[in-house]
Amino acid sequence: MWDFLESIENSGFATYVRETPTWPAYSTVLALHTFGMAFLVGLSGVIALRVLGVVPELPLNPLKKLQPAIVIGFWVNAITGLILTTLAIRSLLANWDFYVKLVAIAFAVVSLVKMRHYAFGDSVPDDVVAAPEARRWAKAMLFFWGLAVLGGRLTAYATNIRMQSAAAVAVGAAILLLLARFVVRHSRRAKTTRDPVTTSQSVTVR
Amino acid sequence: METFLRTWLEWPSVAHFIERYTWAWPLGETFHFFGIILLVGGVGMFDLRLLGFAKQLPVAAVRRLLPWGVTGFIFCLVTGFMFVTGVRANVPMGPYDVIRSNPWLQLKFLFIALAGLNLFAFYVTGMDRIVDKLGPGDSAPPLAKAIAFASLFLWLGVIYFGRLIPEGL
Repeated sequence: MWDFLESIENSGFATYVRETPTWPAYSTVLALHTFGMAFLVGLSGVIALRVLGVVPELPLNPLKKLQPAIVIGFWVNAITGLILTTLAIRSLLANWDFYVKLVAIAFAVVSLVKMRHYAFGDSVPDDVVAAPEARRWAKAMLFFWGLAVLGGRLTAYATNIRMQSAAAVAVGAAILLLLARFVVRHSRRAKTTRDPVTTSQSVTVR
Repeated sequence: METFLRTWLEWPSVAHFIERYTWAWPLGETFHFFGIILLVGGVGMFDLRLLGFAKQLPVAAVRRLLPWGVTGFIFCLVTGFMFVTGVRANVPMGPYDVIRSNPWLQLKFLFIALAGLNLFAFYVTGMDRIVDKLGPGDSAPPLAKAIAFASLFLWLGVIYFGRLIPEGL
């Protein structure tokens, strides 16, 4: 098994991508992996923000149209991720962080599918607040995407650095989430004071 | 000028912090990536709508995502500042020499500046007010589409050149 993995790592393709010191090789695959991540997580994050009521002005149903870009982002990530894995497959398979990343991606995709299932429907008006199940899955999706990004970043580091970094990210993210929550609530309250009629209508729908 | 930049860009305290706390660099990297995601989710989504993607979304509503994109940019700016000023913790060169010798970093800075000019053009040409009136199904004017395309291209370029920076070190 180990010999087989070694042969993948030493294949002509993997060697070219890993060792060719030109811009179209390793760095470009890595950049495409980042593009895929940005579209996949960024656009599914937009749906999650709407589902969670952070951007209530966005009509819900047209957000379904983001699906093709999200799917393209996923496949770009899957293909480039596979290529990057073949470059150092033995060390990655011995790295528990890599498994955390893969599991987090799997859970994030499941959460995305579930969120879509509960959030969208032809009979659902655009200005309505999403179902509680959709909100739960949206939160889960954001958490797992965050974990996947963190896992991807930390695979290059030693175990003790990974542990410390993960703790630092968790603390930093918690502080920023609390801050974001305060800002969103504050701006919503300011809007209610400024425009009581429109806001009371949307609150009634909720 | 060179002396000024060498002095101004060199932040030994940042480099020392990165050296002392090994979690600082990965923490910065992770938040740099969170920033990229917010930037694409906010600004990229707005650009895509102007280009005709998800046309049923009113532009004024999509515009509400822009503060999230700006937040992402601030994440990237703060962590990027940390990477540049603290670069001595990772390579035996100062920030000024890294910027002067690394073409990918120069291209990244150039694309960020061009993206800023593009945003300036969006407001100066009055496109911001015009696109705000676009309802579900409405198409953006050609100039707004050109600015949106340029914005998407430039930001993806920024990400791309950012990934190439280690090649130039």
